[in-house]
Amino acid sequence: MNAQNTTKITKETKNSIHVDFERTSKKERMRIKYLSSSFVIGVVWWLFRFILLLGLAYVVLMPFFSKVTGSFMSPEDFIDVTVKYIPKYPTLDTYKAIIAESHYWQACVNTLALSLFCGVSQTFICALIGYGFAKFKFKGSTLLFLLVVLTMVIPHQTLQLSLFMKFRYFDILGILNLLGGGVSEKLELIKITSINLNNSYWPLALLSLTGLAYRNGLYVFMMRQFYRGVPDELEESAYLDGCGTFKTFFSIIIPLSIPMMVTIFLFAFCWQWTDDFYTTVFFTSSGMKLMPDIIMTPKSLDTDFAAGDLYISAIRNTCGLLVIAPLIVVYLFGQRYLVQGIERSGIVG
Amino acid sequence: MNNEAKLQQAPQKINAAPKKKKKGASLDSRKARAGWLFVLPFIIGFVIIYAPIVYDSILYSFTKISIVTGGGYRLTWVGLANYQEALFVDATYIQTLSAGIKQLIFDIPAIVIFSLFMAVMMNEKMVGRAAFRAIFFIPVILSTGLIDKIDQSNQLLSYMGDTTSMDMGDGGAEQTNQIINAMDVERLFRNMVIGEELLDYVVGLVNDIYDIVNRSGVQMLIFLAALQSISPAIYESCQIDGATQWETFWKITLPMISPMILVNTVYTVIDSFTSADNQVMTYIDKVYDQPSGNVLSSAMAWMYFIIVMVIIAAVAGVLSAYTFYQRQER
Repeated sequence: MNAQNTTKITKETKNSIHVDFERTSKKERMRIKYLSSSFVIGVVWWLFRFILLLGLAYVVLMPFFSKVTGSFMSPEDFIDVTVKYIPKYPTLDTYKAIIAESHYWQACVNTLALSLFCGVSQTFICALIGYGFAKFKFKGSTLLFLLVVLTMVIPHQTLQLSLFMKFRYFDILGILNLLGGGVSEKLELIKITSINLNNSYWPLALLSLTGLAYRNGLYVFMMRQFYRGVPDELEESAYLDGCGTFKTFFSIIIPLSIPMMVTIFLFAFCWQWTDDFYTTVFFTSSGMKLMPDIIMTPKSLDTDFAAGDLYISAIRNTCGLLVIAPLIVVYLFGQRYLVQGIERSGIVG
Repeated sequence: MNNEAKLQQAPQKINAAPKKKKKGASLDSRKARAGWLFVLPFIIGFVIIYAPIVYDSILYSFTKISIVTGGGYRLTWVGLANYQEALFVDATYIQTLSAGIKQLIFDIPAIVIFSLFMAVMMNEKMVGRAAFRAIFFIPVILSTGLIDKIDQSNQLLSYMGDTTSMDMGDGGAEQTNQIINAMDVERLFRNMVIGEELLDYVVGLVNDIYDIVNRSGVQMLIFLAALQSISPAIYESCQIDGATQWETFWKITLPMISPMILVNTVYTVIDSFTSADNQVMTYIDKVYDQPSGNVLSSAMAWMYFIIVMVIIAAVAGVLSAYTFYQRQER
């Protein structure tokens, strides 16, 4: 060991050297590191950001919190002035009454079937269409894509009446009207000019299968952007190995795009689940029980007292909680795909 | 029957495609045919369902409908009567429309800027990033449709209630509704020379923060994706050249994601003019539910749609002048 301060580099052995230098004192190092303006700015920014995010997280979570606590409150809690957030007389009556009177489980099963079908078919169909737009150049593909954008831009609310009419008197390009098979009803032969598809899953199923349902234009756009980022060489090698276009799509492309498809499935499933527009246009209240039918005030609950308005509001919130209860589970498992899928999509192109 | 059969045979046609390929046809035309097959579901849907619906909807807005017993309906052409009724007879439509459009124009910058800000913050590495992300995307999934509708009336109720009764059992809506009041902000800004309108605007924004957070979920996702796609090498070289974070944001981040600002602006417009809390849409819905109001609502919706289209075109025109595209050579 060489202890001399003046020598800076000494040869220790044949292959190694030893470097001695005068280190800045610890105090000096700390001062430079922690008293610089950039460090202070960093800390302030970090604090500012954290507090801001915390505050916004509060804004997002608070309504859910209030809904949850409100759902356990009994009428006494609403009369009691001292009760604000935490119920003094917690009760499950609200839940029980709603579940008992609104055919909750039936609505759940119906909606699950509907949303699952819509989610899966929309995901698949939009992947198919998006792939077609991303990887194939054919005459009119630009025009067709503009049409897709058009379906995204014209809100279905604008088309409310004609959507209803279309499926109330369903007819494909006037063919049924022309052929008109006869059916005898009350001993009279009535010409069938159309089929009533409302109050069944058919309208939404048809819309999903043709990529026209809620925000499907957005899904097609996302899938297209995703597939544009997939290198062509991948498919070319599959073609060389003798795969057809569709075999390539199913065995190479689909497995590749699973994260993106999960994201889209999440959107499609959840938006269909809480959907209010299509279910009220296509289903009459007397028909199949679906989620919107759950939002009601049970008759067994007495709301006729001073703070009754608040109680009704709490009941409605409880209905909402019951509607999204299954979705919360889905979200907990699926939320990381949401960001991942979008990040990988390279939506920017 | 021809088309119906086509609809049912679509899957078989898909299976048959590779066989066809073996016969002659050049690679290009084969690929073009495959492309058509891939987008076939959309074409079928567009021709059979969507185009007729749009056509009908426009047609209905010029007619009166009467339902015929025995399946079917009759249309009587009334020309522009529905539009005239909407514009001149209906007392509240014009009011609602102008208020709604004003609201829309004020909301767009708020939502776009907020979502950009949030995306930038959530893109940075920090403690609890995953948790924050999970929280901020809750509204995208959960606060849509029905829940949105419940929240609307919920807030209204607590708004009415908060002056009469102090015991807000349902504290949340009240809290989010009134985070600050105008007095606080006024005190803050008294010495600055900013107009009364701007003050009202800021107060309105802060009080609507819940609404804004709720509505900027998808935009945040899109911005986040855009931010992720900027090459870290660019930031690195900026750092080496001595640019501060502030400069980097304005000179690099903003131009790089400007195409997405355009996309998000258009998306925000479309989203907010279809959302349940849009007053014009609520009003049109109300008209739709009235007896024989359905054709009137069609006319109103189309007028609204055209106005919004004009807004979108204007905004897109202005923004695209400032949009920077990083052209990649292939």
